[in-house]
Amino acid sequence: MSSLYERVGGQKAVDAAVELFYRNVLADGRIARFFDGVNMDDQIAKQKSFLTMAFGGPNKYTGHDMRNAHKKLVAKGLNDTHVDAVIENLNRTLRQLGVGEKEVKEVAALADSVRSDVLNR
Amino acid sequence: MTRLIYKDRPVELSPGETVLEALERAGVDAPSSCRAGNCQTCLHRAIEGAPPPESQSGLTAAQKALGFFLPCVCRPTEPLTIVPPDDAGARLEATVRAIEPLSHDVVRLRIETTPFPYRPGQFIELIADEDLRRHYSLASHPEEDPFLEMHIRLHPNGRMSRRLMVDMKPGHRLHVAGPRGTCFYEGVDPEQPLALIGAGTGLAPLYGVLRDALRQGHRGEIRLYHGARDSKGLYLTEELQTLAQTRDNVRYIAAALDPNAPFGGDIAALALAEEKPRLTQTAYFLCGGENLVRRLKRDLFMAGASMKAIRSDVFSPA
Ligand code: FES
Repeated sequence: MSSLYERVGGQKAVDAAVELFYRNVLADGRIARFFDGVNMDDQIAKQKSFLTMAFGGPNKYTGHDMRNAHKKLVAKGLNDTHVDAVIENLNRTLRQLGVGEKEVKEVAALADSVRSDVLNR
Repeated sequence: MTRLIYKDRPVELSPGETVLEALERAGVDAPSSCRAGNCQTCLHRAIEGAPPPESQSGLTAAQKALGFFLPCVCRPTEPLTIVPPDDAGARLEATVRAIEPLSHDVVRLRIETTPFPYRPGQFIELIADEDLRRHYSLASHPEEDPFLEMHIRLHPNGRMSRRLMVDMKPGHRLHVAGPRGTCFYEGVDPEQPLALIGAGTGLAPLYGVLRDALRQGHRGEIRLYHGARDSKGLYLTEELQTLAQTRDNVRYIAAALDPNAPFGGDIAALALAEEKPRLTQTAYFLCGGENLVRRLKRDLFMAGASMKAIRSDVFSPA
């Protein structure tokens, strides 16, 4: 059986999803403030890494990286409701791209698996 | 074995090893994160040799043209000489050729150096003294002009400004380093509409890009938006109006923030309204102060423009 990454569409799916996902996230009043003042080019690259990870694609992320990347945001008040909002936006993006419900759930589960690292718990 | 040179020193590269692994083994402090070619944390630049295409995937056409690549997924097939991404390159001697006013507070500086490759719209570092250096964008064209041209805004208390107005005369020697920046005409389809949007001396790189696009035979419509605080701050207006009259694919839209000026208006709002219907086809070039560039980039992206189609260069107040 092919991997989730392949079933979702691999690199091409990541490329198609990245800008749409970031647009959805920036338009979401619950989480947009965490992106204030960030460099959009860098941020797109980060979103791309996140999606590759969430799709089960090639990445060598460690919990350590996730923790470091989000430390400042946790200090600014990042909590479970924000992670929920990000995952909701991810689901929405995938549905907009016509990804099947089964895969959407699997992607969400992978994204959710880094929750405690993201929140530095 | 493929040779790898980092700055000036050879780095040993074992067969099958990535450039990132080789750098780390050699004790170079090379940043990395995903190690899979996604996050671009490890970005470096090849100044000699061509990095394999898979190590440039996801980068912009301008970055590729400048030799940028991702060391974590780079297994070179030919010798490479590489530098960190913001390496300014060797310093060159330069001679001032002309300093002329373009408006009440903008001067045109032309200098001569030993010719080096650059793309109009890139910027260089101008070094007047060890402790007096500023970045300026290039409005000149390497194939058309025997000089480098910069547009410099004069600030009453700026040290570089005083140097330019009081001390510097034609014949004066200084140094430059560079070029840097990816805001230039590359990866654009000749039929594609271009929108060049800038404020103040952000016009310099846009003017460079415009000339380069025309020289390379760009056929799509080119819309040049230039904003300034008041109408006195709009410079090169006659040249640009003439250009727009003689080329049927060039439009020139100028606006001054001062509501009493003949062309009053906020250039960013004007450009956004005008661009709305064509957002997904157009290639954007944004140059100016941080607020303007950030706001435009965000608004254009949120309205549907792809980030890959937006090139930008932020001017720090000097
Ligand atoms: S470390 Fe992420 S792209 Fe190289």
